Amino acid sequence: MSKEIYVLDNNESKDYKYNIEEDTIIYHFSINGSSNVEINLNKENINLYYYYNNINYDDNKLNIKVNHNKDNTHSEVYNHGVNVKDNYLTYNVEGSVLKNSNKCICNQDNQIINIRNGKSTIKPNLLIDNYDVDSNHAAYIGKFKDEYLFYLMSRGISKKNAYLLLLKGFLINSDSIDLGKIDKFLLEIERI
Amino acid sequence: MLEVKNLSAKVKDSDINILNKLSLKIKPGEVHAIMGPNGTGKSTLSKVIMGHYSYEVTSGDILIDSESIKDLDTDERAKKGLFLCMQDPTVIEGVSNSEFIRTALNEKSEEKVNLYTFMKDIEKSMDEVSLDSNMLHRSLNSGFSGGEKKKNEILQLKCLKPKYIILDEIDSGLDVDSLKIVSKNINNYLKENKETSVLIITHYPRILEYIKPDYVHILSNGSIKTTGDMSLAKKVEKDGYGDYNE
Repeated sequence: MSKEIYVLDNNESKDYKYNIEEDTIIYHFSINGSSNVEINLNKENINLYYYYNNINYDDNKLNIKVNHNKDNTHSEVYNHGVNVKDNYLTYNVEGSVLKNSNKCICNQDNQIINIRNGKSTIKPNLLIDNYDVDSNHAAYIGKFKDEYLFYLMSRGISKKNAYLLLLKGFLINSDSIDLGKIDKFLLEIERI
Repeated sequence: MLEVKNLSAKVKDSDINILNKLSLKIKPGEVHAIMGPNGTGKSTLSKVIMGHYSYEVTSGDILIDSESIKDLDTDERAKKGLFLCMQDPTVIEGVSNSEFIRTALNEKSEEKVNLYTFMKDIEKSMDEVSLDSNMLHRSLNSGFSGGEKKKNEILQLKCLKPKYIILDEIDSGLDVDSLKIVSKNINNYLKENKETSVLIITHYPRILEYIKPDYVHILSNGSIKTTGDMSLAKKVEKDGYGDYNE
């Protein structure tokens, strides 16, 4: 059983530092804020799942750094953002594996959907100083594909509700999220 | 009745019509098949009828019960009773199959669909199309095999109960057993909904052995070259499309 942490930033910018010593899932929801996040994996054989979901209206940044300080540590970082207006949204995502941290897994998946003409940037960085590491990154910036809307609308779903389905699917990106704990964020999705 | 009247259509931003003055009338209860080689406009026809974003109607009309649907959005066409079983159903991560179907049902009906009734009905339908019930909670078509995607299309059809069905190469990617299951479900649907009009789009006559058409049309260069009955499909199977190519 993993430890679960829920965070909701509502129109505020914050710094977070986590020193992790057990299997942990962090669900971080952000409405129009910047975040600086440092995560240290400080015990061997532990797993971290980090889900960052963000709705953006102004110029904001996410800086996140995951440090694999021990052997056989595993991180999966998923950053999903929706840039609603024409502003800047920047993700700096760094995974770091030290020279003496063996057999680590360090993965990150970053996606930003621009609703209008937002200026979004993703900078994925993997700083790997060990030969025995499994590490991947992915980055996507763009809009929802037209074929998604066509498929949903071909079953009689209005464009508005099709977008809502896509936004919810994108921003609630784990089946294990307890929706009862993020009602403010769910309401904000409906306002986009 | 679903009627396509002198329909010409092209890909947006191109000058060449893919459909050329194509006309077709499908009366209630009739099953029509359109056959033709690759690149003759069969799938384009299905997408243009459904209002696909890539295509533009350059002339002619599409009518449901004498009312034009040419200028309607895709969702409005679906609400008129149109349903396109897609050749390659779209995968959408994050949107669950159940939420998708329930949203579509809620839009169709005036009252919100009761969750208990929905689950009871859909589990029965999933059993009928031989889909595992856990696929209801997975992302839409994600990780589904070719056959499972097609069965999922039929599941949606059974839930949404359309009046006008277009089956775009529903047999592609299906093994013999899955083809029988899909065909059986469509035939049962047609028995229960006798006024339903069906347009089957296919390369091969195999599907027509299972879902019997009243008319078979051969499409070439964006228009119908000849019309016949099942014997025409058998002739094509024996002789190929050579006689109908321009």
